[in-house]
Amino acid sequence: MGARILRWVSLLIALLGVALASYLTYVHYAGIKPLCTAGNTCLKVQTSVYSHILGIPVALIGLIGYVLVLATLLPRQGENTRLATLLLTAGGFAFSAYLTYRELFSLHAVCEECATSAVIMTLLLILSVWRFLLGEPTGSTHVGAPAGSESGELAAGIPG
Amino acid sequence: MSTTGEQGSTRKQRREEARARRKALESQAAQQELRRRRLIQLGAAALVVIAVVAIAFAVSSGSSGNSAAKPHSKAANEASATVDSLINGIPQSGNVLGNPHAPATLVYFGDLQCPICREFTLGAFPSVVANFVRTGKLKVEYRSMETATREPAIFREQQAAALAAGLQHKMWYFVELFYHEQGEEDSGYVTPAYLRGLAQQVPGLNLARWEAERSSPKLVEEVERNETEAGEQGFNGTPSFLLGKTGGPMRKVTELTGADLNEASALFEPEIEKALKS
Repeated sequence: MGARILRWVSLLIALLGVALASYLTYVHYAGIKPLCTAGNTCLKVQTSVYSHILGIPVALIGLIGYVLVLATLLPRQGENTRLATLLLTAGGFAFSAYLTYRELFSLHAVCEECATSAVIMTLLLILSVWRFLLGEPTGSTHVGAPAGSESGELAAGIPG
Repeated sequence: MSTTGEQGSTRKQRREEARARRKALESQAAQQELRRRRLIQLGAAALVVIAVVAIAFAVSSGSSGNSAAKPHSKAANEASATVDSLINGIPQSGNVLGNPHAPATLVYFGDLQCPICREFTLGAFPSVVANFVRTGKLKVEYRSMETATREPAIFREQQAAALAAGLQHKMWYFVELFYHEQGEEDSGYVTPAYLRGLAQQVPGLNLARWEAERSSPKLVEEVERNETEAGEQGFNGTPSFLLGKTGGPMRKVTELTGADLNEASALFEPEIEKALKS
């Protein structure tokens, strides 16, 4: 898979993450019942003691994380932006892993939206590691990358 | 001539080969340097993973729930003093806190292990008590609805233990103390010893009577009736509330499923005023 496609896929997945985290943040602040097909498990997770850290709802932390990941994918790509995406998705993955642990072993309830978010963050991490190892598609630091400039081609297609 | 020409060509060739070798070596060194840098950066990413997990565990273990305080310990004394200053002097009867003839009634559906109920009870509820219950305008009825407690048997046991204190008109002491000394969710902290420890902190409670009555089937049935009622109301989480003029129709106020509970008091006040005027 080329660097350009990897970036587009990452962008789409990050947008999904933003949408999901926005919904969960809205549910939290509106005080409404989250959509759930498995009874009250979502509610149990999202109203549990683990639903906020230091008073900050984890849904909001997730939303900020996805927005930051998106922000590293939008500008012209280089070593620094790819590293930033990698570090953010690594942090997001770790946070998702922690929350999943709490769901499985502390609350014994799984929230569907939270599990989906964990999958999204895992995919983003895989893609960011892939893109990071693929490196600069052109230039003197070329390391086994396919031809074609990722930054030039994509930057033209993305507003901002 | 031709020998000199061949020698010149060979020298040129050697120079080009040497240059090519140098370039290859430089390129190899650059690639090795890049690889080394990327490995360090990947290591940094792995460290980020470890750091985030460690911080999340450290923060959550520091902020999630309290361990149940032992009777007569400093923490228990502090909780007892707080609860006493909140409800001392307010009439109690069964599951009701407040003047039995109060013009407005608030029904509070809760699970004693529910951390959001704890947040509400410790955060917004004291101002409701001070402004409306203590002034005789409002009475509050506590009812049971299982949400956070994992084991239904434990849920019934803990809620019935509170009702047993209610048979001595001290249920609200028990409920408040439970929330103040609530343990970590699903950590299995609710044991007979924990319940007894709370009961020992309730001022003036006849402990032997409470112990004898807390396993009464009537109390368990009452817990089950509360749960049926919560289901009929369509409640999905705790705390959930019904509010209205005493003896009149009750209506759902809100389901606080994670909203800022500190705003709950402000949210209740106009509703209570409305019920009082109706």
